[in-house]
This record gives sequence, structure tokens and C-alpha cells, in this order.
Amino acid sequence: MRARSPDTTAAYLFLLPFLSLLVIFFMYASVRAIYFSFTDYDLFNTPTWVGVRNYRALFSDALYLAALRNSILFATIVTAIQTFLALVMATVLNQRLRGIGFFRAAFYVPSVTSSVVITLIFLWLFQRRGAINYLLESVARAAPILLTFILLALTLQAVQVWRERRRGYPAGPFEPAALVVSLLLAITGTFTLQALGFVNLRADVHVDLIWLQTSATIPAGAPYWLSLPLPLAAIMLQNIFTTIPTFMLMYLAALQDVPRSHYEAAAIDGANAVQQFHRITIPAVMPVTFLVLTLSLIGTLQMFDQVAIFGDAAPLRSVVTLAYFVYNRMFPGAQTPEVGFAAAGAVSLALLTLVVVLIQRRLVRSEGEG
Amino acid sequence: MKGEGFPPGTLERWHARRLWARAGLVYLTMLAFAILFLGPLMFAALSSLRTDPLAYPPNVVIPQLQPRNWAAAANLGAAGASNRLFGGFAPGADIAFEIGYFVPDGVTIETPTVEVPRRRPGAGLGAVMAIEYAADYARIQELRERSRTPSRAADSTPGTIVRYAFRITYPGSGPTLDRLPLDITAAIGMRYLDSTLSASRLERRGRTASFDHAAPGVLGYVLRNYVRVFHEVRSPSTRESLFLAWTGNSFTFAFWRILVTLLIASMAGYALARLRFRGRELIFILVLFAQMVPLQVLFISNYLVLRDGILSVSGFTLSSLWGQGGGMLNSLTGLVFVTALNAGAVFIMKQFFESIPREVEEAAMIDGANHWQRYWNVVLPMARPALGALTILTFQGAWNDFFWPFIILTSPETIKTLPIGLLSFRNTYGAVGDWGLILAGAVMSAVPVLILFFVFQKYFLEGVSFGGGRE
Repeated sequence: MRARSPDTTAAYLFLLPFLSLLVIFFMYASVRAIYFSFTDYDLFNTPTWVGVRNYRALFSDALYLAALRNSILFATIVTAIQTFLALVMATVLNQRLRGIGFFRAAFYVPSVTSSVVITLIFLWLFQRRGAINYLLESVARAAPILLTFILLALTLQAVQVWRERRRGYPAGPFEPAALVVSLLLAITGTFTLQALGFVNLRADVHVDLIWLQTSATIPAGAPYWLSLPLPLAAIMLQNIFTTIPTFMLMYLAALQDVPRSHYEAAAIDGANAVQQFHRITIPAVMPVTFLVLTLSLIGTLQMFDQVAIFGDAAPLRSVVTLAYFVYNRMFPGAQTPEVGFAAAGAVSLALLTLVVVLIQRRLVRSEGEG
Repeated sequence: MKGEGFPPGTLERWHARRLWARAGLVYLTMLAFAILFLGPLMFAALSSLRTDPLAYPPNVVIPQLQPRNWAAAANLGAAGASNRLFGGFAPGADIAFEIGYFVPDGVTIETPTVEVPRRRPGAGLGAVMAIEYAADYARIQELRERSRTPSRAADSTPGTIVRYAFRITYPGSGPTLDRLPLDITAAIGMRYLDSTLSASRLERRGRTASFDHAAPGVLGYVLRNYVRVFHEVRSPSTRESLFLAWTGNSFTFAFWRILVTLLIASMAGYALARLRFRGRELIFILVLFAQMVPLQVLFISNYLVLRDGILSVSGFTLSSLWGQGGGMLNSLTGLVFVTALNAGAVFIMKQFFESIPREVEEAAMIDGANHWQRYWNVVLPMARPALGALTILTFQGAWNDFFWPFIILTSPETIKTLPIGLLSFRNTYGAVGDWGLILAGAVMSAVPVLILFFVFQKYFLEGVSFGGGRE
């Protein structure tokens, strides 16, 4: 082995700008963050070494505990819901049809729009007299009609499937042609029943939910580590809404590689849609699921923008995350900055991220062996 | 197998019908998803035209989208300041205005009072400006009843429709004013029906029909909130339009960030793809870690680096690249500097360079070109597609970037980029419920990236499938 490859000088000259940035803004920054976490520092005076005091203080700090709970709840719930929904939606859309490109682009729009624009729009939708409460109220008022429609559609579908099977056709429970007929008939039927006065809107329902300016948690009466602040739930809905399309498109790309013949063979063996989803779809996209889970967990653990944009629209404790906790201790407005404390919080966030990545590596490796 | 006893062709027809029905249902589902994902954005864009986007119940029947009001607004703008587009109130103005009421039988018919109120425009940043009031120059003339017609209301109450006409004039000389607010108050029991221009809002239990601008011009009417974004929000000291300044900053930041990213990433990518050297593995490991460590760990030190230079802890200053006292905080240079580290871009360039066959460089090698010449004259011109994709993705990243501008650009208002500027919109106008301005600003700031997305879709979507197929 040569002591020095011929390209080494040239290579490091090419890498010089990138490496200097990496050294200053990553290596030096990481080392300094760890150093600060063992000091008492206010951004202006010289840091003084205090050992592990900051770390011990973290676990008796109410804001940190709220941030830790919020971050963990946020990351796990959002990841579970958005991964599942993205996969289900991708399965539904996994068809080779004309014009699918247009829809894909449309689904992707929330993901290319900036977090500030989306968050401002959702802040507006979540106002007390905003569109979300209006939507909930409308659905609650129309509940009898919607329920009638669903029951009618299910009954019609069951009757049709039973008839087709009796005539010997291989009709599934959600047989598409029958479903189209059921839906059309159910719409007509519901309209008729409403016109005749058998079902009516409920006029006395009012939804006046305070989403933002509240310290309420759901479910009511749950233990501290399981109670989800309502404003945080609002951010969750927004996050799920913006992230699903990205993951759905990742899943779609993977699903397009699963041969059709697998599903056809399963259908001949009598597997229904749910069984096909369970036995074929989920195993086929496992590698993408690992990727999606990791990206989602890392992204949600580091959620910051939405909290900063919500600002005083919601109580700090109800929305604070670990990422925002670090910022909040570093720039606490009128108080003295607690850089050491902030750094300790940041290191704990980095460790949490590291744990997620390590678990993912372990799972991927065991999957590869199995 | 089932279905063997069917007449020929029956089962085939059944399967064909199933295929068609499935396609129909899938399109319907996709349409539903599209409405779900685009709905909030479209609804916000539509509502940004309304005088008050928080008006309850939310509605998509918007006066600003009715052609009748467009014509009226253009004519009123022409009468107010000879400006059909943006309107105004200039000396010599003579504006004819009409309003109609439904008066149920038994209610006394009284001539309403017409007034040009002294109303400050908006709140917050706009409210600190010294402004001229239209009230000081406007004169209401010839207020009279025009007609009475017997009629019935929608709930079949019998009554009379009464119409009044008047003129608003601007005698003598004086400044041209941006707005002409107008309040028309009727007696109790008289119900507002319609007017030359739809009222901005009804106040005092429907008695007062209030107009933000009685001579708006067609754009001044339809895009009222958008015009306000540019006009009302100004720097208190320089009177410069803040939104324009933020837009300019966003473009400047994106431009420099793209330039820096392309140069650094292509150089580093070339070295990693083409050159053999010691320490290559170590760099890969570092880059992997760099992508994993949260920004919040790094920003503490990076903020201090921008403020003080490098290594100034404990009074020990090894090298200070710039002066003390604020340093590169609150400057776009600092922002470009601190966001220039982009490991993902290096990977994209490295992969692209690896896909270029080595043979193309060999001719240059025989001519005795050195590494820099091979990179600059041979490989880089071939990398145009990758550089193009990187430009688009970097633009999107820079335009939407929130965290670093939020940390670094805090004052004055004119140094901010659009996302941070929109946040100060929210802080100033959200508190008073003035969402028209916030939504208009948000919609406008989303436009450049949306245009870029629809023109260069494949770069964005390929990035996604690339991510999906990677593992």
C-alpha cells in the first residue's frame, strides 16, 4: 500500500470548501454543544464548568418534561397514522391509468409548499369560528343523513353481491360494478327519504371547539405521559396532512414493482382484498416501510417550525417540543439565556434520534438475514 | 372453477364491466384525495379575496368573484380617480352611488345617513403611519330617494323596496387618497338589500352597510388584501414596502445559496466520485452523521460562530474571520454561509459523476489537462441535467427555509426573508383577527415554488421515487 495516493492533494483541494464547512458547522459545532452542556453559560460571560448539573436539572424542569412528552407522543402517533394511511392510499391508487400523473402532482403540492404557508393556513382553519369547526358542525348536523346513506349503500351492496354469487359470478364483497350501482341508488334513496321527511338535519348541534388557546388535553383524565394537548393534536393533523402525500408516492413507486401476477394468483386462491394487503402488499414494501418509519420518526422528533409559528396562539406547554425547548432556553425573551441547559436538551434530542436510527439499522439487518 | 355454465361471452362481459367500474371508482377516489390535499390551499386562496376570511359561516360565494361587482368597482374607480384598475379618491372626483332597502310594511321609511368615516387602515404595522383621511375632503351631495316598489321578502313578508341615490364629490384641490371608506346607516327595521357595490360588511345588527373603499377599481376591489399587503405594511422608519423587501431578500438568498451549493457540491462530488485518496471512508461516515444530527444541536455553536467568529470561547481567539459586535447576524451573507453545508447535494453530484463514463475524461488526460481542467472543461458541462435539478431543489429549499432565517434574521424588519416576514404578519395582524392580509401574503409567497413545481414536476417527483427505491 502506498503511503500517499497520487490524487490526495488534488482531492483535498476539491474538497476544501466542503470540508471546511463540515469542520466548522458540524464537527466543531457538535463538540461545542456537548461542551456547553456541561457548563453554565449565558451567551455573554465566560462559560463555567458545572459537570452534569444541567442534565440533572432537565428532569426536574416542567417545560423540559412537557417537551419530552409532547415530542414522543407527536413522533409516535403521527408516524403510526401517516405511515398506515400512506400505504393504504397508495394501495388504492396502485393502478396503471391515464392521467394518474396529474393527480400525483396534485397530491404533492402540500409537500412543496413552505411550512410557514401551510401552518398559517391551518392556524386560520383552526380558529374558533374557523372552517374546521364549521366542517365538524356540518358533519354532525348531517349525521342522520350520512348514516342513512351508508346503511343503504351497505344493504344494497350485500344484496347485489349475494345475487351475483348465487348466479355463479366470482363477486368480492366490494365488487366494483355492484358498488357503483349501490352508491348511485343509495344517493337517490337518501334524497328521496329526506324529501319525504323521514330523515332530517339535526338543527340543534353546535361545535364550538377551542383548538388553540387551551391547555386541555385528550383523552381527559389520562396519565401525564399519555395525555395529548389539544393544540398539539391540531399540529398533528396538519403534519399528517402535509406528509402523507410524500410517503404515499414513495409507496406507489415501490408498489409498481410488485408483479400483478402475485395478486392474481392470490385472488384465484380465494384471498380477499384484506388478506392480499396483509400477505402480499405489506411484505413487498417492507424496505420502504423501514425507510418511511425512520424518516418520519426523525422528522417528527425534530419538529420545530409549527411550534415557532403557532407562537402565542397556543400555550407554550401545550405545544413545546424538544427542538423548541432548546431554542426557548437559548433565546428566552426577557430572561437570561441558559445555553448550558439548552445544550443539554439538544444532546438529549440527538440521543433520542440516535436510538431511533440504531433500532432501524438493527431491524433492517435482521430483516436481511431472515 | 365457477362460471362454467355461462353462455359464451357472458363472463367476459362481466369481467369487462368490473374493470370499467373499478377504473371509475379509482378516479373518484383520486379526485377525493386531490380535493382533500388541495382543498385547504384552494380554500385559503379563495378566502384571501374576502374582506374578512374569518366571516362565519365560511363560504365560497364571494362578492369579489361576482362580475357585477367587477364592473361596478371599475366604474367607481374611474369616477373616483380616473383609475379603473386601482381606483382612489382624487380632486374633482364625482361618484354616483346607490343603495336599496327592503322595508317591511309597518316600518317607517326614513332616509339613511351617509358618512365618510375616519377609519384607520388595518392595524399593526400600517397603523403607525401618518395618513390623510378621505373624510377631510369628501362631500356627500344630493342624497335623495329614487324609487319605491311594492315587493315581498324571501320569507314572503309584504313590504316595499326603497332606493336611494347620492354623490360623493371632492371639490377643490388636495392629495389623491388611496381609500374612500363609506358608512350608510338606515333606520331600525330597514333591511339592506343591495348597493352599487356589495357592502364590505354589515355592522350594528345590519343597520350600517360599511364599505372599505367606495371607489376601488377592479383590482383594488378583487385583490384588496393583496394591494394592502404592499401598501399598508411599510417599514416605520424608511416607509419602504416590507413585503417587497422580504421578496427581494428571499430571491437574493436563493440565488447565492444556489451558486454556492452548485460550486461546493460539484467540486466535492467530483473528488468523491473520481479521485482515490486516503480518508475517503472517514468523510463518508462524517457526512452520514451530519445528516442525522438535529439542527438544534448545531445551531448553538453556529449562532456563536456567526456572532463572534471562530474559537472565541474563553477569551481565546484563534482566528476571527470578521469583526466583533453582531458580526454576521442579521445579514444574508451570514445566512448563506451557515446554510452552505449541504451533504445531500454532494451525494447527488457524486452519483451523477459516477454515471459519466471515464472514457470522456481520458482524451483530456492525454492532452495533459490537470484535474481542475478536467472538472471545469469536461465533466461540469456534461453535468448540466444534474446541476439543473439541484438548482431547482435548492431554490425550493432556500425559499421555504424557516429555521436559519428565524434564528439569524431578527431585526430590522427589512432584513427578513418571506417566511420570517409572514411570521411577523401573523404576530401583528393575527392578534386583531385581520386574516385577509395574512392569507394574501401566504398565497403570494407560495406562488414562485408552485410555478417551479408545475414546470419541473419530474425533478421533484423523481427525488421521491429515488428515495423510495434506495434501500
